[in-house]
This record gives sequence, C-alpha cells and structure tokens, in this order.
Amino acid sequence: MIARLAWRSIWRNRRRTLITIISIGFGLACTVFFIAIAEGVYAQFIDQVVRMQAGHITLENPKYRSGPAVDIWFEAPESLRSQIERLDQVERTKLIILGQGIARSASGDVSVTLMGIEPSVELHTSPLVHHMVEGRYLDNHDGPWVVIGSGLAKRLKLGVGKKMVITTNDTAGNLVDELCRVRGIFKTGSVEIDGYFIQAPIVFARHLFDLPREGATQLGVVLRTPQAQEAVLQKIRMMVSEQDIAVLPWQKVIPEIASYIKLDRGSNLIFQAILIFLILFTIFNTILMSVLERQREFAVLLALGTKPLLLRLQILLESVYLGLIGCALGLVVGGLAAWAVQVWGIDLRSLLEEGITISGFAVSTKMHARVTIGLLLGTGGLVFAATLILSLIPMHRATRLSIVDQLR
Amino acid sequence: MANIVSLQKVTKDYGEGDALTHALRGVDLMVEAGEFTAMAGPSGSGKSTLLNIIGGLDRPTAGRVEVDGREINTLSKTELSLLRRDRIGFIFQSYNLIPVLTALENAEYVLMLQGIPTAERRERVREALKEVGLEGLENRYPRQLSGGQQQRVAIARAIISEPGLVLADEPTANVDSETGKALLDLMRRLNEEKGVTFFFSTHEEAVMKRARRLLRLRDGVIFNDQAH
Repeated sequence: MIARLAWRSIWRNRRRTLITIISIGFGLACTVFFIAIAEGVYAQFIDQVVRMQAGHITLENPKYRSGPAVDIWFEAPESLRSQIERLDQVERTKLIILGQGIARSASGDVSVTLMGIEPSVELHTSPLVHHMVEGRYLDNHDGPWVVIGSGLAKRLKLGVGKKMVITTNDTAGNLVDELCRVRGIFKTGSVEIDGYFIQAPIVFARHLFDLPREGATQLGVVLRTPQAQEAVLQKIRMMVSEQDIAVLPWQKVIPEIASYIKLDRGSNLIFQAILIFLILFTIFNTILMSVLERQREFAVLLALGTKPLLLRLQILLESVYLGLIGCALGLVVGGLAAWAVQVWGIDLRSLLEEGITISGFAVSTKMHARVTIGLLLGTGGLVFAATLILSLIPMHRATRLSIVDQLR
Repeated sequence: MANIVSLQKVTKDYGEGDALTHALRGVDLMVEAGEFTAMAGPSGSGKSTLLNIIGGLDRPTAGRVEVDGREINTLSKTELSLLRRDRIGFIFQSYNLIPVLTALENAEYVLMLQGIPTAERRERVREALKEVGLEGLENRYPRQLSGGQQQRVAIARAIISEPGLVLADEPTANVDSETGKALLDLMRRLNEEKGVTFFFSTHEEAVMKRARRLLRLRDGVIFNDQAH
C-alpha cells in the first residue's frame, strides 16, 4: 500500500513529475551519448595509431626506451612470432625498424623518420594503406622503393617513380646513402606524418641500417579486442621471461597519446559532472518542494500512527520511481542515439577540412561512438544512486515536522 | 467503568518571556470508557491543545496525562506512534483524507499500519464504510465525495481499528447543519452500539446538546462539567 501511495503521490502533480523525469532522462542521455562518442573516438584513434605504429603490445630491446635508436635492436625469431600469433585475441604480429635519416632530392633535403615494414602485414593492419593518393602501397616484391607523405613529396618535388636518396647512420655508426624510388604518396591530414614520414620494405631498411635477417627495433602485436591487452601482455611476458626482451603496452610506447586521452577523459568527466550536478539540483528542488507541499498530509499520517521510518520509506519510494523512470528514459534515448552513431558514425569532414591531429597522428573525421553495458550501467547507476541520495534531506524534513503545527 | 483518559494538573505554555501564553492552566479530567463527551469553549480556550495532548500529538508543560492506562509523558516517539495507531482514532475538522487514496484505502490505511492481512482488512473496511453509510462509494477519491461523505470516511478511518478512544476536533464545523446532525447521529450510534468512546470539541449549541457530558473551557481551565 505504501508503494501504491508513493506511486500515486508522484503523479498528483503530473507536469512537475514529467519535467523531473525528462530532466533526469535528458541529463543521463546526454551523459551516455557524449561519453560514448568520446570513448568511441579514443578507441578508433588508438586503433589507428597502434596499427600504424608498433601494435597494442610492443616487444623491443629493454634499453630502447632510454635512447630510441636503430642500433638498439633485438632479434625477433620466427618461432616467437608464431607462438604469439597462436594466442587468442592476437590478430597478427608486425616487425618494424624505426630509424632517423635525411631524405634528399634535387630540390632539397628533409629530416625524416624511416619505418621499415613488412608490406604483406601492413596491407592488413596499417591505416596508411587507405590514405594513398598517388601510386600504390608497397608489396613484398618491392626492393628499394618507399612510400612518402604528400607534404614531403611537395617539399622535395617528388612524384611516383621519382628517385630520392636516404642518408642515415647504420648500426655501426657509419654514414650510409641509399638510392630509392617513390612507389606511392599518402595523405593522412597530419602535418607530421605527411611531411616527415617514410615507409620502406623491411628488407630494404635492414640493408640500409645493416641489421641481420631477424633484426628489428620492434615487434608489434595487434589485438582483435583491445580489452584483452593486459591478459595477452602477461602471457607474452611469460613467454619471453628467459630472454632479454621488454614487453610494453602501447601506453608506454606512445605515452603522449595515453596522456592526451587521460587528460581529455578527465576534462570530459568534469563537464559531465557539472551537467549531472545541475540536473540533480533540479531534481533535489522538485523532491523537496513536493515534500514541503505535503507537510500537512504527512502530519496526518504521523498522527494516525505511521512510524517515521515508514514515512521515509514512502518518500524514498517516490524518488525510486522518479529515478527508475528517468534513468530508463535516459538510457534508452542516450543508448539508442549512441548506438546509431556507433553503427553509422558521424562524418565531420565538411566541418573539419583541415583534419584533426593529436600528437602528430591524424584522427579520423568520421566519428563512431562506443556503447558498452558497463557505460550504461555505470552512468545509469550513478544518476539513480544520486537521485536516492538527494531524497535523504527531504525524507528527514518530512519526519521532523511538528504534527500540531501542521494540523493547526 | 475504567478511566480511558486521566489528566492531573496539566498545564501547557507556548512561547517565552513577554510572548508566554498559558494554553492550559492546571486541567484535571477523567473520561471513562464509553463516554460521549463534548468540550465547548471560545477560540483560544484550549480545546485543541487539550485534544492534542490527550492524543499524544503534543506534550504538556507540566502535569500527568494517562491514556488507556499509559502515562504518555514517559513514552518515546515510536511508542506514542503505536499508541495512536492502536488505541486512538482521530477525526479532524477538515477531514484530512489522503487525496490519492480512495475512500476504502483511506479507511484501510490504519489497518495496514497494524499489519492486518489484506483480505481481512478489506472486509473490515467494507463493513465500516457500510456502517457509516458509504456503501457503493468505496472506490471514490476524496475529491469525488461531498464534505459530509468525506467526514464519514474519516469516521470510518477513526473507528476501523476499534480504538479505545476517538478524538474529534470540531467534526461538524465544515459541513451544513443537516449533514452535521447526521454525522453526530452516526457518532452517537457508534458510541451506543459499539461502545466507542468519543471525546470531541465543538462550537455549536446543537452539538453540545447531543453530548452526554459537556465540558466548558475558558482561558485554559475547565470551569463547567455537566452530565446530560
């Protein structure tokens, strides 16, 4: 009967109740939607970056991080790669050689980062493959051929098939020159990538840097689901525990990206917290007003012998109903909107012609949200719990009233 | 008969300093079970204060108050709630029904507080509503009932738990004289047939005449106590 009384009580002022429910729903829907968008963009960005760089998990020489250079290489035997690739959740492994050099043409020279890659692997993993604007991407039969960014091509006045020279130091510290030709030109939207980044087949890179057959600066592990990262990381660490190899998550390899995401997530949380606070303040006012309006009625209930605890339960139930309906509405609306963006995405190309880059990496202008059960339950549970906590003060007020004063 | 209400030298003061008001000044009163007692007096004479103190809604400044054999000054808030729930029925001047509950549910509420099973309380409420002449109106909300009908629901709510004492604060003040007379007839009948003790305040001469005992209050003192 108390449940019935509470249910009917919230509907005695239908307009106010609807406004309250819509406020809860709107606030929660916005929170779910924007968090889902942010998480989707982070996931999409991380996926692109790790696929282009050294994977979700990177194996390398333990000394490499303290002074990244091509002479701090390690041997990644085929047997280790096959062992890793047999693990659940591992999509594939990729060997890379990362070094610095100078690209020269008749028109000038530019300091560049040269990445030696396995074309057959990158064809399946690297997003660069989809950004070719001239020529084509590399394949395993290519010898001294490279793909370069559109910015670099413009500065060195290079086109597909044109010659350029790469000057660098090999692992022994000798100055070396190698002639190569441009196989293709890519354009990612990132000034850093398009202007100062070159990819070459790993065989050519080994020759250039004078590395042995299985030598590389990194062995990247690309995962099917990023959520499996920690578990796979531990398994690989067990595999190489006897060897002098460091196994690192991408957050340690590209710390600037991890920091950026952490910072951005933090500022988003502050924004969401402010939004939720404003909405909760409205809800608090509604519940308090509803209680203050019914002081006489509560006095009658107390006079009839209602225990204060039962009266508190009635008010709590009213908040439970408001919270449940509001949260359900918010989760359905916010969840569906976010799900639609997850499936179809939002293309911001027309608004962001210049593109967006974070720490030199281009972010896709087609945003996809990422809705998870955890996000829905977490935000819904938080708003619901906050609604209940907000009813504590009105509950207290209702049972502290003077029966005589109210009935006078 | 045993006393259901016993007051000894009960005083009640409000405010302090220059604003100090003596609402009751040493009231002594005994009410036996089964009485049909009215209390009359001008506004501010202390009628409502006396009802509130007997009903455990307010505490006296000094003096001893016993209701149904229990000294209410010594009872905690929870014990007072239980005393009101189980032994005292209230009828208010402005009915004070819960607007979102039907007539049946309003009367049922006290039985729910007592933990009576739904089937039993529904049966008892239907009988009580029939008793007060509201058969067929059980599912109407207070706004769908006339003032007299609402007060009948309030009477049913007050007697439903078979309390030892029913306190009524000017129960006929908000209804026309015909309805007031009918309500008083009902209360009197419940008193005579079921032995319910009624103790009520009134302004109206017609109501006073129907009481078997009439107390007259002025300035917080009972100055006249006569049986009819």
